[in-house]
Amino acid sequence: MIVFAGLLGTVKGQQSLESSYRTTGSAVVAAFEAQRQVLQQSSAVILDGRKETGYGVVISADGYILTKASELPKSGGLAVTVNQTNYHEVKVLAEDLVWDVALLKIESHDLIPVDYAPTSDVLQGTWVVANGATSRTTRRLLAGIVSAKTREIPASGGAALGVILKVKSKVPQVEAVQQKSGAEEAGLQKDDVILSINGKKIEKVTELNDALKDGKAGNLVHLLLRRKGEEVSVDVRLAARAELFTDQMDRNDQMSGDFSPRRSGFPRALQHDILGSRAVQGGPLLDLDGRCIGMNIARANRSESFAIPVEELKGLAERLMKQAKP
Amino acid sequence: MAANERLVVNDHKAPENRQDLEMIQNAVRASLPKARAATVCIEIKGGSGSGVIVSPDGLVLTAAHVATGVKQKVTVVLEDGTRLKAETLGLVADRDAAMVRITEKGTYPFVEMDRDASTQLGDWVFALGHSGGFDHERGSVVRLGRLVRIADSTFQSDCMVIGGDSGGPLFDLAGNLIAIHSRVGAQMQVNMHVPTAVFIDHWDKMLAAEFIGEGPYAEKPVKGNGFLGLATDARPKGGLSVTKVGHGSPAEAAGIRERDVLLKLNHVSLETREQMQDLLKEMAAGDEVILEMERGGKPKTFTFNLGER
Repeated sequence: MIVFAGLLGTVKGQQSLESSYRTTGSAVVAAFEAQRQVLQQSSAVILDGRKETGYGVVISADGYILTKASELPKSGGLAVTVNQTNYHEVKVLAEDLVWDVALLKIESHDLIPVDYAPTSDVLQGTWVVANGATSRTTRRLLAGIVSAKTREIPASGGAALGVILKVKSKVPQVEAVQQKSGAEEAGLQKDDVILSINGKKIEKVTELNDALKDGKAGNLVHLLLRRKGEEVSVDVRLAARAELFTDQMDRNDQMSGDFSPRRSGFPRALQHDILGSRAVQGGPLLDLDGRCIGMNIARANRSESFAIPVEELKGLAERLMKQAKP
Repeated sequence: MAANERLVVNDHKAPENRQDLEMIQNAVRASLPKARAATVCIEIKGGSGSGVIVSPDGLVLTAAHVATGVKQKVTVVLEDGTRLKAETLGLVADRDAAMVRITEKGTYPFVEMDRDASTQLGDWVFALGHSGGFDHERGSVVRLGRLVRIADSTFQSDCMVIGGDSGGPLFDLAGNLIAIHSRVGAQMQVNMHVPTAVFIDHWDKMLAAEFIGEGPYAEKPVKGNGFLGLATDARPKGGLSVTKVGHGSPAEAAGIRERDVLLKLNHVSLETREQMQDLLKEMAAGDEVILEMERGGKPKTFTFNLGER
């Protein structure tokens, strides 16, 4: 009797839903089998050797794929899986650093490209489906809803070169170059003095800040430098300041698991609530009809994920294809 | 849809087909405009949380850890950016429930509350809130999920909430308020909400601005720990003359200077130093003081909050 009462008490006081019936659970996800089949055919798995680093959108039968540029493997182990076929010859043909999108090419003639939705302008609350972690042969999915207004996501903290300037110097002079920044890629060095940006003369630190104020993450700026008495000119990729100097994770970031390092500075993004991670970005975002209404571009935090809307995605596809075939 | 109509999809263990999925989607889409209009951002002491309006005259439900105390001045921000003066009413410190009233007269968009705890485990729900703070371009953020755990005075959902959402609303598919966001764990599945039943159980006391229960979500004000930061001397002709203003004190921040003459504290005429100290002993950190005074023969009134001793 006592045991029975205790059991009842537990059931009455606290009930818990089995994990397979939760929003990301297998029983719920099973309702999206039609959309999963689209992912099976028309999403690409991006691999670094055997490790999945992201997904891609198949945009043509003859092997063109869009993916998230900043998550591409740097090691040379780039490989792609579409459906159940593995491709080890993968070319990176072009990149758009503002949108953080790369165009890949694999050797194939019978891929099934995504079917673009006529518009990304759907009501909030509309179901969307994206790639979840995959097995070697089977794509899995995650589902969620469109969750906020489609809008620009400005570079977090503003656009920056990735340098720390000397505090005591009146002219902007480099004290240190941040790792993985545009400044590092362009070879900026300690003690370099910045003379001009995009032809605009810079004499004070405040003028440098003004010149960068309207800059966009991913854009290149042309710098004239003075280095050891000589003038040097370089092009530097701008990035979001908060993404370059990441030493301070705030509490919300700590609650957000494995978010995308590049998660701001997008000219326009559709927001959804799919519980992804940095490792599942780059693939198509599908509606219930299995049509592509966007491309997943960032897991920003626990509550917010961003996708490039289909209108801009189509434009990017055309532009990058043109760039790739001169 | 009638507010009390229970959607059949809630009684399916999982959505069975496209029709079930569309039922959820259509319900969220239909409920969102009204739910969103009633969802607010609450700004207090440099921090920001969320809340939801539940009456046309501007009663707002939120979390105790957002309100932090009773009778505090706060700003309520509507979805369209309208900023409204408000004050906190009562709270339940051990259940993370609090009430706020918009003090500016008006008729406000509001939502209905689930009054008979009709929600069940597995029900589809949606969360709204100003994740990470108010963002006019973005608006409040909606998230869909299910009720994954029901315990005494706590709901858990798999709607992903984050800092800034605290105090925001959790709705059933009909758009009835069922709970208020309370706290999250590092694990994505851990999103905790305070059911409306907790508010209903304490309604009258909360309306009367009572501080109910002990921590952990709000600390009870301690009588006598309020800090003003003034030294005074009684004047023969009444009032107290300020002889010193403490550096970095609330009095200094409010703009009080030496040689100002204090006439009334919260409408009580001041006669002696001891009398003012007795008045302050009955107050706590965060309480509002209204000081009526005279500077260079001209009347002046300062209103500010006591600091913590």
